[in-house]
Amino acid sequence: MSDVPAKLTVVTGTESPGRKRLIGILTHVALIAASLLMLYPLLWLMAASFRPENEIFTSASIIPSSWSIDAYIRGWNGLRTSFATFYLNSFIISGLSVVGNVLACSMAAFAFARLEFKFKSFWFAMMLMTLMLPYQVTLIPQYVLFRQLGWVNTFLPLVVPKFLAADGFFIFLMVQFFRGLPKELDEAAQMDGCSPWRIYWKIIMPLSMPVLATAAIFTFIWTWDDFFGPLIYLSEMKSYTVMLGLRTFTDSTGESDYGGLFAMSVLSLVPIFLFFLFFQRLLIEGIATTGMKR
Amino acid sequence: MTTRSLESAAPTRERVATPTVWSRIWQNDAPGYLFLLPWLIGFLGLTIGPMVTSLYLSFTDFDLLTSPDWVGASNYMRMFTNDPKFWASMRVTMFFVIFSVPLKLAFALMVAMLLNRGIRGLPLYRALFYLPSLLGASVAIAILWRQIFAGDGLVNKLLAVFDIAGPSWISNPKTSLWTLIILSIWQFGSPMIIFLAGLRQIPQDMYEAASLDGASRWRQFVKITLPLLTPVVFFNAIIQTIEAFKSFTPAFIISGGTGNPINSTLFYTLYLYQEAFAFFRMGYASALAWVLLALVGIFTAISFLSSKYWVHYDE
Repeated sequence: MSDVPAKLTVVTGTESPGRKRLIGILTHVALIAASLLMLYPLLWLMAASFRPENEIFTSASIIPSSWSIDAYIRGWNGLRTSFATFYLNSFIISGLSVVGNVLACSMAAFAFARLEFKFKSFWFAMMLMTLMLPYQVTLIPQYVLFRQLGWVNTFLPLVVPKFLAADGFFIFLMVQFFRGLPKELDEAAQMDGCSPWRIYWKIIMPLSMPVLATAAIFTFIWTWDDFFGPLIYLSEMKSYTVMLGLRTFTDSTGESDYGGLFAMSVLSLVPIFLFFLFFQRLLIEGIATTGMKR
Repeated sequence: MTTRSLESAAPTRERVATPTVWSRIWQNDAPGYLFLLPWLIGFLGLTIGPMVTSLYLSFTDFDLLTSPDWVGASNYMRMFTNDPKFWASMRVTMFFVIFSVPLKLAFALMVAMLLNRGIRGLPLYRALFYLPSLLGASVAIAILWRQIFAGDGLVNKLLAVFDIAGPSWISNPKTSLWTLIILSIWQFGSPMIIFLAGLRQIPQDMYEAASLDGASRWRQFVKITLPLLTPVVFFNAIIQTIEAFKSFTPAFIISGGTGNPINSTLFYTLYLYQEAFAFFRMGYASALAWVLLALVGIFTAISFLSSKYWVHYDE
């Protein structure tokens, strides 16, 4: 695919229709080849989770010779605690994180975008600064703090920061959106004696469903994927998330049961893939307008 | 009672007419601060407070169980003069940043340009290329990668078709870091989407005028596309570099938390994790964190200062 752009460069604006067609076809060929190359590992992983155990290390094909869901059944109960518990934990943590992030970040964004108060630009600059801060700088004191509060081995260290709008990216995303809503809405409502709370809850929030949905989906995916937080805060297997369960699998049984490991890996990607399937337009627009990290 | 309530009613109205400083603050500033309150608590309690604390801890010996002992700058001294693992992790991280970020951005730009030619099926291609970005941070993908590049893994199976016996890419210190760089490049989808959005902003008539003047596609790319796209390149480069510095999960999973073989995948973040949560040297780990912050800060400052010379803003 790398030689296609080189071919395109020699073509000038005065190209014939036939040549244009050829270039169009070549572009598609290159793009299809590139997408297949990129998706091949994913498809192989999926195939490996369904194929007979002895075939995993011999076949590079993405279609198993025979299909079975044995690996899923083995993997699901492959650890002392079943993956059902891990999924429940992951859903609880991700669900609470979504609620916390959407509420706290939209409140902060509303203040920054629609209200006037002293030192606003200072606080806004501080918020932007936190976007660039590597989390390691606050990691150890936060750990000490949560440990003293007796929160280690609970979900609180993973969830409470979300209710305190700790991820500035979403504040930034929402500020951008709120600023785009007509200012007359607030002014008219204020004339009618609406309090800021009512303006936020009854006017701004209902009009901001697209950005709130984007923030909710990204929060869910990132929390679902998060490995570092659960790794340091959750030490008992019954409070593990799916990601921690997978990691434990690679440490212990994973060495012998690759089929089960791959099956659980595929399963752990399913919630993210479903979000991708149903909301990819929102996700892609979210990235395009704010340039989020992933 | 009635006279009192009348009395108190009258001055209130007057007070509204000439508000005191306090009531003005209450009326004007309170709503803003009330809405900001959750963030403000988080900012002070989870960011600023811990930052100050970790700066203090970086000058102490602290094992989490006994209270911190002040040791002056000796953590930093040890790091720079007497800790080969620190330098190893620094080398690994810098190597990773220097190779993964430009390659990822080059790929992203190349594919974005192909997609921006008004081709059919754009939404489908865009979605397919974006999928790895969305899934890539997951533990599952790191597990998959470990398998792909293992001695009996997928890559070597494909190489065997051409009669090439590949090494175990993961356990060879010369290639192990490259498997992680490839994993990072594989996730070029999200900078690609940002590039696509940037390319759409470039007015089409500029290209028409240029091609009427006989400018080749390459010249158009160098003279129009690239300069007008520099703000987007700048933005992507900053975001991706910070992300690359923070990368942790793939190296942890692929090396089983060790950073081996021979520290070749010992990312800085992984070393910090080991110091803090395997050896409980919290003071030393805090010092490592502040060096990382300084590193990211220096990098960002250089980028912003240099941006004057190569980023074009059309005002």
